[in-house]
Amino acid sequence: MSIKIIKKGIADSIQDQGRYGYQHLGIQPNGCMDYLSAWLGNAILQNELNHPILELHFPTAQIQFTTNHTICITGANFVPVLNEKSIALNTPIQVSAMDTLSMLQPLEGKTCYVAIKGNFENPQWLHSYSYHGKRFEKEDQILIDDQSQHINPNFQFNSVVIEKVHHFLFNNHTPIRIIPGPAWQDLTEDSIHHLLNSPYSITPHANRMGFQLSGPSLSLTTPNAYLSSAVTRGTIQLLPNGSIFVLMADHQTIGGYANLGQIILVDLPRFAQIKTEHLIKFSLTKLATAHNLYQEMYAQFKH
Amino acid sequence: MRTSINKWTIYSLGDHALVFALTPQIDPAILHKITALHQFIESKKINGVLDLIPSYNSLTLVFDISTFLQNKDNSTEYMKNFGEALIISFEKEKTENQHSANEIIKVPVCYDPIFALDMDSLSDEKQISIASIINIHCAPIYQVYSIGFLPGFTYMGTVDPQIQTPRHAQPRNAVPAGSVGIAGPQTGIYPSECPGGWKIIGKTPWVIFDPAPTQLSRFKVGDQIQFYPITQLEFDKINEYK
Repeated sequence: MSIKIIKKGIADSIQDQGRYGYQHLGIQPNGCMDYLSAWLGNAILQNELNHPILELHFPTAQIQFTTNHTICITGANFVPVLNEKSIALNTPIQVSAMDTLSMLQPLEGKTCYVAIKGNFENPQWLHSYSYHGKRFEKEDQILIDDQSQHINPNFQFNSVVIEKVHHFLFNNHTPIRIIPGPAWQDLTEDSIHHLLNSPYSITPHANRMGFQLSGPSLSLTTPNAYLSSAVTRGTIQLLPNGSIFVLMADHQTIGGYANLGQIILVDLPRFAQIKTEHLIKFSLTKLATAHNLYQEMYAQFKH
Repeated sequence: MRTSINKWTIYSLGDHALVFALTPQIDPAILHKITALHQFIESKKINGVLDLIPSYNSLTLVFDISTFLQNKDNSTEYMKNFGEALIISFEKEKTENQHSANEIIKVPVCYDPIFALDMDSLSDEKQISIASIINIHCAPIYQVYSIGFLPGFTYMGTVDPQIQTPRHAQPRNAVPAGSVGIAGPQTGIYPSECPGGWKIIGKTPWVIFDPAPTQLSRFKVGDQIQFYPITQLEFDKINEYK
């Protein structure tokens, strides 16, 4: 049974937690921009955390259901409506055949997820549903296996966790935490001071590949040429013009720009949701702290 | 986290990757050690390792935090010990490995003007005849030092200084798949049509990236490659893009 795209959005796609094991061939991992919201939607519907999910960016696609489904909307609040009637986030929603889901305005956050109960029957590439560069077109279909849509009516995902995750993503004044990278030591003192004290913002030059930031320009003590080496999601690159580019889900596997540091994994979903009009502060953190924060977050989703 | 052992530097890259690096030089001997370490770690089938990415003088191990660091109280100490122990056992085992020299892969390239978009201007710039440029480009055995930018895009070196040339200041909107380009000391093949700034001097009839899961990238880091010139007629005969 299927779900149909009846109007195209700007950059909507199926994503899961990404495709690993092929980066040595230059194949990008892809995956959800905000994996926390994807986990949340899937956990609420009793799916595996790595279950494929629809990722929507505003203005989003308009989606029509051809049969009954249970869905859950998480992440950015784009004011979702089902046949013009507003529906809630972070809770299972029953939809019926011919219902249409649209998103009215980008109230909070940048990336919205629609989790669907049931197994996807769309093709995978290299063990992942995430397909780099493949965006929803009008008439595209998402195929869901009928047999896998049963949901245990007595199960309810912990509402405290829902509240905590939402708060963590959207009402959080903690700086975005980073760990210094190999080129950190090549930054001038002024540049380090700016990076850790001045506000930055995300320019409109931002997509699933990465976000260009605006803020004080940075420089290296001596112009340095680096041999290209692997980068990760969250890598903060210094471009030759002094601006910062942060790599996101569709990042290249190898980079030759100065690698200033990495945003810690637990803060990446929050970074992905920051809108252009908001200011960002960075702070340094320790490796052990990053690991503890991630493990604590992950533990809340294991059931 | 950063530590050194023998000639290796081991450092964490963010919170979910670990880098093993040697001296930052474009050197076939260094690359050989990197690819040997790649094979060694791969053969260990370590739980939680998501990717191993070789490039020039480094090998980056990407891991899943919850699996790789399961129940480790002091993750920083654990990563340091893990990295050092890995290098020690690698260096020990390595002496028992025979160095199997890679076969040289001979790659056909048609340098005809219809494919070699920048050949005329390169010949003018360097005051070297097109025939000589082709000879100079075909003479070396190139190493694949890195694959990235696009799935299957190979970074090879080293191009003879006589024909080294910078990238275009303004990249082309679309470089055809199979195009062979040069940029500074590097030469490479575009696996698919995309924007690109390298100077294009020919085209291979080989498909070098095929998304079919059993095919993927035709080359891997550490491969040795030599180009040889073919005519347009030969190109049409081999052409895998048909």
